[in-house]
Amino acid sequence: MTQGRELVVGSTIIVAILVIAVGTLWLQGTNWGRKATYVEVLVLDVGQLTTGNPVRLRGVSIGSVASITVDPGGDVVRLGLEVEGAFDLGDPVSAGVIIAPQSLFGDWQAEIVRRARFPQFDYFDVPAVDQNRDTLVIGGYAIPDISRLTAAADEISQNLSVLTDRFDRAFNEQTVDQLLTVIANLEVVSSEIRNLITQQASTFEDVSADVARAADEISQASAQANTTFREVDAMLDRGDVDSILVSVRSTAANIDRVTAQVNRSIGGLDQTVARADSAFGSVQRLTSRVESGQGALGRLLLDSTLAVRAENAMAQLDSLLTDIKANPRRYVRLSIF
Amino acid sequence: MAPIQHDVEDSELELRGFSAPVRSVGHWVIAGVGSVGKGGHLAARAVGTLRQVDIWGPRLVPLFVTIGVASIPIGLFILTFTGMVLAIQASYTLTGTVPNYFVGALVGKTVILELGPALTALALAGRVGASIASELGTMRVTEQIDALESLAYDPVAYLVVPRVLAGMFMFPVVTVFSVVVGIVAGWLTSLAMLDVTTPEFVKGIRFFFDTYDVQFALIKAWSFGLVVTGVGCFYGLQTSGGAEGVGHATTRAVVVGSMIILVLDAFWAAVLL
Repeated sequence: MTQGRELVVGSTIIVAILVIAVGTLWLQGTNWGRKATYVEVLVLDVGQLTTGNPVRLRGVSIGSVASITVDPGGDVVRLGLEVEGAFDLGDPVSAGVIIAPQSLFGDWQAEIVRRARFPQFDYFDVPAVDQNRDTLVIGGYAIPDISRLTAAADEISQNLSVLTDRFDRAFNEQTVDQLLTVIANLEVVSSEIRNLITQQASTFEDVSADVARAADEISQASAQANTTFREVDAMLDRGDVDSILVSVRSTAANIDRVTAQVNRSIGGLDQTVARADSAFGSVQRLTSRVESGQGALGRLLLDSTLAVRAENAMAQLDSLLTDIKANPRRYVRLSIF
Repeated sequence: MAPIQHDVEDSELELRGFSAPVRSVGHWVIAGVGSVGKGGHLAARAVGTLRQVDIWGPRLVPLFVTIGVASIPIGLFILTFTGMVLAIQASYTLTGTVPNYFVGALVGKTVILELGPALTALALAGRVGASIASELGTMRVTEQIDALESLAYDPVAYLVVPRVLAGMFMFPVVTVFSVVVGIVAGWLTSLAMLDVTTPEFVKGIRFFFDTYDVQFALIKAWSFGLVVTGVGCFYGLQTSGGAEGVGHATTRAVVVGSMIILVLDAFWAAVLL
């Protein structure tokens, strides 16, 4: 009876201990003696990565993080990755490990990648001492976790809060009124600028048209000049220039003769001008005498009654002449005998 | 003189009615402090008799069976349904908000850290604590303990120490089985009734698992075993007044044991986590 009880108790306790041990190892993700490759990763920071987190290659879980230790100097974190089976990475220098959140719920992972695939990350450069070791050592990079991003966002929001506060202080009713005035002025200014631009555009169109016409005319002139030059060239080629020069020479001689005649005419003209000057002097003297009232014409001009009498006399004379023409026999008697 | 005496009696009665609640508070405090003192005295005597291995040693294995092995089924029963309910409630709460593997995480973490040790201890407080209190109480009222003393047996070494040691040793064992069954029940429920796959469930458990969780659960179970058996022994030895006294002692052992379990549960959570 006692032995039976002892057997039961012993069995129960042994089973409980085994359950604890096996269960703990299983929950820790032990590989139960299967062949594994140990890979070391050097990084500056591991974020929230912990032992037991998965190691992935192209999205496939190939192992787990076995250890996380900080190097004695405190500058580098050394991760131990336990990868299932034989693991050949090829060129370890071109490989890198990205430590990043696996989801938004706090689970992280270490993913082995080619550095060329994600060149924007600043992978840790593995020292030569570690490169020469038997263990495969890869440089890694930890993406900032959501808490850091949240902290950055918090800082930004605080800055925004400060800006908003300052904006509230600066943006009072007076500022609003001033802004309204500025806006109204801006409307006026913009309207004037619009009109000016319209005018300038019209002027520019006119100028453009003129320029276009000038360009056409220049083009035509150029064409004519080309034609002329070609003709000149042709003339030069034909020897017409010599005859032209002869003609020009004779023309120049003719011009010389004409010039001499003109010079002579100019000499006669000088005498005529002198005569005219003396004539103008006589007229000026006569005019001055008339203006001063000397002579009959002067008196006629200065004395209005004399002019009126003269007009009356003229009218009477006119009527007399008219009557004489109408009735000649009244005044003239012709008799032969 | 008579009217004057009547007034004095009235005022005394009035004073007594007014002071009754205060007196009851004082009574409970004094009784509580007295119980703590007696409990401490009992604990000191138990520690002092630990060297009497020849007295409590032979009694240990049978008590391992009655306190531990025989209690496993009730622990498994409780945690089976607890695991099922946890999985269903976790799925009901978390589906659509977080990934499915959180069902496994919640079931594993909750069962290992809290519900496994605490519910097992509460169940054993009813079974083991009541059993010990009624057994020792009966022995006390039937003067069997007095007979032990007359035979030069230290009742603490003979009755208390093996029970407390058996409780301290076997409660963690029962808790281990309960936790495993609770997790398995949650896993099977997730497979059968919920849209959670085995890899998801396992991923959830492993993701949040820490070896320290097991240590924490074992420490709690060990302390609960100490409390349940110790309280049962204390109230059993304090029994007086025949069968009614045995009933009272049993009830007090269960109630006080359960209360101390809950207080200890909060204490360990605050201290160890």
